[in-house]
Amino acid sequence: MISFLLNNTEVTFDGDPDTPLLWVVRDNFKLKGSKFGCGAGLCGACTMHLDGAAIKTCVLPVAAVAGKAVTTIEALGTPDAMHPLQTAWVEYNVPQCGYCQSGQIMAAAAMMANVPNPTDDDIDRAMTGNICRCGCYPRIREAILSVAASLAHEAVTGESTS
Amino acid sequence: MVVAVVLPGCSFNGALPIDADSADLIPNAFLQITPDNGVIFYCPADEMGQGIRTGLATLVGEELDYHPARMEVRSAGAHEAYNNPEYFIQLTGGSNAVRAFYEPLRQVGADTRALLLSAAATDLGIPATQLTTEDGHVVAGNRRYPYGDFVATAMDLDMPTETPLKPATDFRYIGQDFTRVDALVKSTGVAQFGIDIDLPGQLSAVVVRSPVPGAQPLSFDDSDVRSQPGVRHIVPISSGIAVVADSYWQANKAAQRLTVEWASNSLSQLDSAQVRADLEDAVAANNGVDAASEGDLDTAFNTAKSTLSATFFAPFLAHAPMEPVNATLRIDGDKAELWTGVQAIGVAQGLVARITGLPLENIRVHNQFLGGGFGRRGTLNHIIEVTEIAMAVEKPVQLLWSRENDLQNGLYRPASLMQLRAGIDDAGRVSAWQARRAGGDLTVETLRNSLPGLMPGMPSGMLDGLATGMDYLFKNWSVDPSSVEGLHETYSFPTYEIAHTSVDHGLPLTFWRSVGHSYTAFAVESMMDELAETAGIDPVSFRLNNLQGKPRMQRVVQRAGELMAAMTLPEGNHLGFAAHSSFFTDVAQIAEVSVNNGAIRVHKVTCVVDCGTAVNPDIVRAQLEGSVMFALTATLFGEIEIQDGAVVQSNFHNYPILRMDEAPAVEVEIIESTAPPTGIGEPGVPPLAPAVANAVYRATGSRLRDLPLRLA
Ligand code: FES
Ligand code: FES
Repeated sequence: MISFLLNNTEVTFDGDPDTPLLWVVRDNFKLKGSKFGCGAGLCGACTMHLDGAAIKTCVLPVAAVAGKAVTTIEALGTPDAMHPLQTAWVEYNVPQCGYCQSGQIMAAAAMMANVPNPTDDDIDRAMTGNICRCGCYPRIREAILSVAASLAHEAVTGESTS
Repeated sequence: MVVAVVLPGCSFNGALPIDADSADLIPNAFLQITPDNGVIFYCPADEMGQGIRTGLATLVGEELDYHPARMEVRSAGAHEAYNNPEYFIQLTGGSNAVRAFYEPLRQVGADTRALLLSAAATDLGIPATQLTTEDGHVVAGNRRYPYGDFVATAMDLDMPTETPLKPATDFRYIGQDFTRVDALVKSTGVAQFGIDIDLPGQLSAVVVRSPVPGAQPLSFDDSDVRSQPGVRHIVPISSGIAVVADSYWQANKAAQRLTVEWASNSLSQLDSAQVRADLEDAVAANNGVDAASEGDLDTAFNTAKSTLSATFFAPFLAHAPMEPVNATLRIDGDKAELWTGVQAIGVAQGLVARITGLPLENIRVHNQFLGGGFGRRGTLNHIIEVTEIAMAVEKPVQLLWSRENDLQNGLYRPASLMQLRAGIDDAGRVSAWQARRAGGDLTVETLRNSLPGLMPGMPSGMLDGLATGMDYLFKNWSVDPSSVEGLHETYSFPTYEIAHTSVDHGLPLTFWRSVGHSYTAFAVESMMDELAETAGIDPVSFRLNNLQGKPRMQRVVQRAGELMAAMTLPEGNHLGFAAHSSFFTDVAQIAEVSVNNGAIRVHKVTCVVDCGTAVNPDIVRAQLEGSVMFALTATLFGEIEIQDGAVVQSNFHNYPILRMDEAPAVEVEIIESTAPPTGIGEPGVPPLAPAVANAVYRATGSRLRDLPLRLA
């Protein structure tokens, strides 16, 4: 039996401890926002946060998250209360097919938590593990930079731009 | 993909697949208006990222006078009412949806608005001529009434027809940028894809297929599989052996333990070098079928000032949509429900009907968001598989292809060899143009794969006869348009000859974003660059010399030339130019490239596009951005190789996709136009590879004539 925090709720899983976290979250806890794209840690569609860090969960045995905190796209924000990155994603019309976007947003959110004012190189480094077959990269970059700019503005003026 | 095939009576024409409250107004197959003034739009084209839900909602909303962003857009079910007006079946592809639905859907909006106005006139006792509308409201003087108020009365009125459409000058939504109708759900993890379907009691299936496409199992040993956790069934099906378990992960893990002895077939000895050699032989034999010609070619070559010939190659490619193909089927007595994301839902319905023997009206198809299409989701072998499995296990089943299945057992863009020869005259015009292409014919094959679903009632024997006849036609008499499209049409060459030789190795083929243009533009636009140099004319002027009678493309090339002339480049960066017409849209691209130690880096791509009316300019820009990335993957990395009849590439480590750190900046300029809209999902793909290759030449002096581009 493995216990962990899933989106701030204590959960337990008593199946095969080798089961990748992605499938435990999708199949057992019915949270479908995190996607399967390659099953080999190569595309980032399955990205979640583990204790705040972005991690590819299709190759992460659920046993490895025992006692840790897992956050999925569902808890980053909701349609009614979006994370600033999600607001920017909508504003910049980032998604095309949309399938990679949960992973993209989770990767970007983990980066922003550490580097709130990223450079292009920071973005390249943090986002390179996430494939977008539709090629939304320029808009992903723009959306991230817009959030960084409004955070910087807030830090200076104490006012929110949105 | 522009093939109009009239197959009468092959779409479902029973009751509309709409579940509505009886208080709702359903004036036609596309709209549902609720008493609380909601509008539901049943979108007849499949959303795979191209923004079609937003685009088509805009067409209806424009004439209905209701903001498209406030509509609830749902995927239409399988029904002939939703047939693509050019294909006569439900098919999303060929970049035609906005173009083909441009009038029909505006008409639906206009007629529905007229219906609501006459209902309002009845209810308010004011003549309809004194009423107008504004964004979902009927306006009478200074009073506004929601459309929903008149739904009950409208139900008893006759639907107006042929209501006049607005002139373009009155457009409020067409031509405006606004948020995609699916942006919010796709930014919050809420959007539902086929893979997200989770029915009570659903089992998961994985199919073990032959590494060599089409080979049948001679025998298999599942003794080590049955004992694996979660495994419920092992089911031999027509394409391989299905392992069915409680979950995908269990099924996929157990499937690795299945040992199968596969028969060999005609593909078993094949490798990539052989494919290349066969294509070269076919072109050299010079006995292709005439696809198009004009003028006296021999004389034109004899009188040419100089001539040039070159041979270009493009490999097999996989689509690799981000969401691997999948389908979930529940057969319940004499009814079936299918959840999937495909580009041809009528075919999906027909396949389930054919295999189960159930009538079409008993089969509901719920098309979800498609996690990428690019042509891959137009061939529905996974629907055949899930139906065979669900019938065997008698439980709801979800079939999911792994990424390895996707790359190794899929369908491919055909490898193509193109030999071009051209002569130029004193004025710097192409006076003679000859192109020979050798490779597979994907339209014929895709059609053949779709026939069983298009004609669920036709016995298999007759279908086989039809398919054989079609094959014969295209191999010996006519040319599959997709095999040669784009080899000359962009320009106004006075004398040309296009010939084709079909070479079918048996690797499954289908449409791949921009289809034939994806390889022909590489050959043609690389050649045009070489010819311009031979003529001693800059690439833009040289192209303009060869665009008589093509005013749209002239303007696009001219504008791109102006932008290019104004560019200042950092030391070491070089520009390459290319232009290509496809799907009735004209695109020019300028690639800014540097080469360091043999590594090609694309910094920026500038696009000029004329796609007629840009229904949503921001989505037009997004499609060009995405097309650049999709094409750049193919240009720099894309290659499916064959060894002993099997595909070598298996996942993203050896079939790499462009990533953030490799993505160029993209700038898009849309030519202002009030002409009817033309395609936009695909036309941004073809010019990219030659634009990059032409820039690489300027950077290195090497003409790269094989895709993907590799410097020795
Ligand atoms: S699905 Fe996990 S990295 Fe691709
Ligand atoms: S939006 Fe389609 S893969 Fe990224």
